[in-house]
Amino acid sequence: MLEMQDPTSGVKSQTQRLVITTIPHALTGEDVAAWLAKRFNIDTAEACAIGTMMVAFGYIYPLRDHKRLVLKPDASLYRFQTPYFWPAQQWPVEDTDYAIYLAKRNIRKKGVLELYEQEQYNNLHKWLNHKWDFIVMQAKEQYRAGKERKKPDRVVFDCQERAYWVIHRPPPGTVSAMDLGLLRLVDPNQDEVKVSCKYTSCFSPLSLQIIFTEQCIMRPRVKSSVSLGAIVKYMTTYKLHDPFLAPVLPSNPWLTDDNSFWKLNMPYADNPTKMRVERWTFSFGELLSDPLGRDGFRLFLKKEFSSENLAFWEACEEVKWGTAASIHEKAQQIYKTFLARGAPRWINIDGKTMEVTVRGLKHPHRYVLDAAQTHIYMLMKKDKYGRYIKSPVYKDIQKKAIDPELHNFSEAQIEQNAKKRRPSLSPIILRQMEEEQKAKLAASAPVDITQLCRFTAPVPHLAVYSGICETQSMASPGLAALPNSAACPSPISVAIDSTPASERRFDGSHSGTASHFPSITESIETSVGTAGEEESQTPVARPRMTLSLGRLLRRGCNASSVFASLSPKCAVAAGSGRVTPLGTEPQPHTQHRRLANFFQIKVDIPPECRIYPIDSEDEQESPGSARGGVKEIICPWESITK
Amino acid sequence: MNRWRRSVGELQARRRQVTECEQALAALSKVTACFQQMASSLGSNTDGGGLREELAEIRAIAHRIYTGLHRRLITLLTEMEHGQEDREQVERLWVLFLSGLETFQKDLRKANSLQELFPLTQRRDRNTLIKTGSSGGSEVAARAATVQTPWVSAGEERCPDLQTQISRLDALLQEMLQRVNVPVWTVESTQEAWVEAGKEEVDDDETLEDLMQVEVVSQDSTTTGCCHHSNCRLGCILCLLT
Repeated sequence: MLEMQDPTSGVKSQTQRLVITTIPHALTGEDVAAWLAKRFNIDTAEACAIGTMMVAFGYIYPLRDHKRLVLKPDASLYRFQTPYFWPAQQWPVEDTDYAIYLAKRNIRKKGVLELYEQEQYNNLHKWLNHKWDFIVMQAKEQYRAGKERKKPDRVVFDCQERAYWVIHRPPPGTVSAMDLGLLRLVDPNQDEVKVSCKYTSCFSPLSLQIIFTEQCIMRPRVKSSVSLGAIVKYMTTYKLHDPFLAPVLPSNPWLTDDNSFWKLNMPYADNPTKMRVERWTFSFGELLSDPLGRDGFRLFLKKEFSSENLAFWEACEEVKWGTAASIHEKAQQIYKTFLARGAPRWINIDGKTMEVTVRGLKHPHRYVLDAAQTHIYMLMKKDKYGRYIKSPVYKDIQKKAIDPELHNFSEAQIEQNAKKRRPSLSPIILRQMEEEQKAKLAASAPVDITQLCRFTAPVPHLAVYSGICETQSMASPGLAALPNSAACPSPISVAIDSTPASERRFDGSHSGTASHFPSITESIETSVGTAGEEESQTPVARPRMTLSLGRLLRRGCNASSVFASLSPKCAVAAGSGRVTPLGTEPQPHTQHRRLANFFQIKVDIPPECRIYPIDSEDEQESPGSARGGVKEIICPWESITK
Repeated sequence: MNRWRRSVGELQARRRQVTECEQALAALSKVTACFQQMASSLGSNTDGGGLREELAEIRAIAHRIYTGLHRRLITLLTEMEHGQEDREQVERLWVLFLSGLETFQKDLRKANSLQELFPLTQRRDRNTLIKTGSSGGSEVAARAATVQTPWVSAGEERCPDLQTQISRLDALLQEMLQRVNVPVWTVESTQEAWVEAGKEEVDDDETLEDLMQVEVVSQDSTTTGCCHHSNCRLGCILCLLT
């Protein structure tokens, strides 16, 4: 800055000539640009850019067109700003000063201020009301003091002040250079203060370096060709969806101040836009992260009778992102609903993951369900996602998606839009809307189609699964309290007593032959919140169950004695002592052998690991049995010790 | 009867004091405005030893005014109990005084750092001053000098130099904020918005924007007159005039 005004080597200074007076020290834009280019050895475009920055920050101000703070490389004139008004020292720019300035302008122009200035004035009058007398007084005094000066000086000062305030209180629709930068919290030129961590303080700097390099080695690495390929692929898929690279329909709200784009793309809008629907095909993550996408997917899964996967995934997300206080109960709820044996909406994860998860549920933390969630995510991605994209549900949504028209605003309309700017919905309201949506979703509990079918007719597929138990499978709405029957009515939660969706449990027991269990997953989806007992296919079947009707109602119990004996729910306390588990996790597509194996694994776990977190709730459901005071849990392993 | 007369006398005395304070506040306002005008040319080509001396003088006047005002307002506030008629006015004066001092403090700080940035101790430092196009003059200082304190002040302390003045003013402001229990927001302004526009005397001068309409003629251009200049509009008339 200082160099620029050197009379010999600086920018050529010129005289501004007004009607009567002349004011020296004006510069033309092109001279400034040329001088910058010469001084710093850069080309003109860059010199213009630097010059524009200087103008934008307020070191030079334009004499005409004072609101557009750019350096025009032509004969338009500029002048240096006096250091009093420089932003370099970062003095705070206060509202009081602005109020005084506006009042002064008001005086000078006798009430004719620009629109935005008027608004600001009114605001300040409201907020600074207690100081207002002072402000007016000071404004008057400054005005009078200014009038004392010679005419050209006065003009210069007015110009300076006006330029100063254009920068610090920019008129609407302009970009302010002050938005960032000056208010940064960290001064980039300052040396960083190393925060000494208590772990690192006991290490010498060399050992710290060693640790650092070791960690570097351990980090997973990817070949650059691979990662570059990934970037290219990402770019090509998303390039039409990026509002920076491609124009957005109907119009970019940041440019035209018209927020219909945002309204159309609200998370719970009625009809998604075509672009949004297209995004769902990009990756499974995209689909899941969009609530509308998830809705469509949920519908599809319901038709395929595997919506418990998505429900489980969503429940895990809730745990992860919810409040710390609710983790415990949410995790329990999830266990009861999805993970426990005989859970109504049992999900299909492998044994190891199940083991790990259940163990972790003893002391639940935020990420306790992470392994299971990932497993389910992968399952859904590999299997269901591809099918969903080809499914009629998705095609339907695609057809219904809307394609908004491009807006075509004129300049005047854009200005009008700018005036109509309003703040967006408060996050509180958005959160409420989300909650409402969730409540709506939960209220419309998934009515399982299979259950209805089962009601109406002895579903043929049941026969497929278990020839033996077919008769038993017709559990009337109520229960089949056959003493020897193997069929149990499905778990009915107390709440949903009225619609006892019966689950067919098949006792493939008698012969130990595997009966394919019905796709229990479907049947599980009926009632929420209760876990039923599944049948296992242990060979022993000694029906010793004498369950009361009530019990049956509350928890579908296996009529099979084996299970009964082993089930804490059953009145029969004395189990066979055998290490026969209560119920297999019904794995419809897995083999009997595997189930048994699975069992064995489970069974071998010593009873000490009563990891099951659910406690008191299930107390009522477990019959008195030997454990009077001890909290009953559904944990199947417990029965072993009986 | 005596008591009544005494109380009337007290009332009158207090009212006199209050008006005195108001006048002092107006004077302080005037002085600070002048100070600001002159401080804005620090570092510009009009800067010089003379300017800085004038600034110091103005500072001194301001110092006199505000120390006296401070003292008087404090005594007034502590005397009057809550609920008396003048109390509201005194509180208002207090808040205005506070804001005035804050503004002045800001200007003092700016002036201080500017004076450090552009020291004038050596001759060659004059080259570093920014050419802003103004030509200086001490009219403003003259205006400031006409300000008088409404009370007779004799034997007041000398004005300290800039640094000490700043730090003392800091301390004063702190003390003011803490000592006196006047919540700032209870004061209401006596003026409506937009009122001040109509009151001022009519200004004969053209507004700034009109002045700026005229094009500039480059000094070293070889064209004979404005007429040939590509951007010129009124230039021809100018030529004729000058």
